[in-house]
Amino acid sequence: MSLVAEAFVSQIAAAEPWPENATLYQQLKGEQILLSDNAASLAVQAFLQMCNLPIKVVCRANAEYMSPSGKVPFIHVGNQVVSELGPIVQFVKAKGHSLSDGLDEVQKAEMKAYMELVNNMLLTAELYLQWCDEATVGEITHARYGSPYPWPLNHILAYQKQWEVKRKMKAIGWGNKTLDQVLEDVDQCCQALSQRLGTQPYFFNKQPTELDALVFGHLYTILTTQLTNDELSEKVKNYSNLLAFCRRIEQHYFEDRGKVGV
Amino acid sequence: MAAPLELSCWGGGWGLPSVHSESLVVMAYAKFSGAPLKVNVIDNTWRGSRGDVPILTTEDNIVSQPAKILNFLRKQKYNADYELSAKQGADTLAYIALIEEKLLPAVLHTFWVESDNYLTVTKPWFASRIPFPLSLILPGRMSKGALNRILLTRGEPPLYHLREVEAQIYRDAKECLNLLSNRLGKSQFFFGDTPSTLDAYVFGFLAPLYKVRFPKVQLQEHLKQLSNLCRFCDDILNSYFRLSLGDG
Repeated sequence: MSLVAEAFVSQIAAAEPWPENATLYQQLKGEQILLSDNAASLAVQAFLQMCNLPIKVVCRANAEYMSPSGKVPFIHVGNQVVSELGPIVQFVKAKGHSLSDGLDEVQKAEMKAYMELVNNMLLTAELYLQWCDEATVGEITHARYGSPYPWPLNHILAYQKQWEVKRKMKAIGWGNKTLDQVLEDVDQCCQALSQRLGTQPYFFNKQPTELDALVFGHLYTILTTQLTNDELSEKVKNYSNLLAFCRRIEQHYFEDRGKVGV
Repeated sequence: MAAPLELSCWGGGWGLPSVHSESLVVMAYAKFSGAPLKVNVIDNTWRGSRGDVPILTTEDNIVSQPAKILNFLRKQKYNADYELSAKQGADTLAYIALIEEKLLPAVLHTFWVESDNYLTVTKPWFASRIPFPLSLILPGRMSKGALNRILLTRGEPPLYHLREVEAQIYRDAKECLNLLSNRLGKSQFFFGDTPSTLDAYVFGFLAPLYKVRFPKVQLQEHLKQLSNLCRFCDDILNSYFRLSLGDG
């Protein structure tokens, strides 16, 4: 949004405290939602849990179209609607809650850089796998994406989305990549995350930040989603500290509160 | 290594060995790692290849795209990163992702989409190095490719209008430059005293922005205020590229 509109929204956001009835919208969990959207949604849920802000998850088949930016998840708080992790973090910050205030400038730069790494490599790889790998597209994606809609709308929507994603892949240079190269990139990304995490409990030692939420969202979804083959989750399983990290966040922020994240 | 390594890339100007970011990244990395690279600058004869530049050719391999070329050079034992720790290696990947996501759209915009810049500087420069009649077609195609990339990756609703996308990408780019400047601080290179892959990438993207004379210069003005990044570019130019300055 434009700079003026953003400043205006921040002002309004700052005025009210977090309400009890905040809701998060995503697609239908069982039949419709895809890997990448599930990962994004889980990342936002993890972030809000880490900030101790209550949120109710609501599943709607047309969540993607309701969202102001076309992406899921989005949250409905008071009378404002904010979508995607980045803007949601800003919005929550305007309300006075932040996980990264304790970081110094260099650490903040690192955190932003690693978040871009996850978006650049993991998210793009997930999109590639879902929409450009013929086996997955045929068996899983097409059926799931259009499942709430009648024929022929389900096919049309799925093909349209696939065309859009393929265009984007081509524009960023992923159009000619093979599945093996994509898996290589995932491995590289996981290796970088694993090396950065080391033996610490969270990426910036004792306290989790939005980076931890984002990484958790993606890795947990990759580990727990059934795809045509297990290669993607195998890549993640190679790194034991990442597995321990996911387990730790799941236990701490989801099981202990009586909620299951996925 | 006996096999000659040849790099085809776009040529230089304004004191730079190359005006094209990706070519510059590869050239800088080769200098840092000591790889003996024979540089073939694309000129307006039909001999050179133009698509997908930079391209590294050896006796039995053709490698394109900077990331793949750098990997290839590393496999040939030209490694600028062997002194880095595992964490620094991970940081390198992360910062490169940051540059590609936040800085690249604005650099592409400054060179290829902003009409004053494109028509007065970029198009004539590239057209003069491409043989006729390709010179009428190729710059336009590169410009459309750049616009496409910007719109597809950043121009999602509600930013439908190019004007709003522009505002957003320049904001992101300025923030990215600030982050890089904070990270560099007072050190000579990003990881200690010897340059590495990250230095090559940062140099490759910043140097053209810093040196090329444009009519519309908002990002350049911002960069010039970050004196440590300017000093970083000048240092690398003076130490590694002094003997092979391009035409003015």
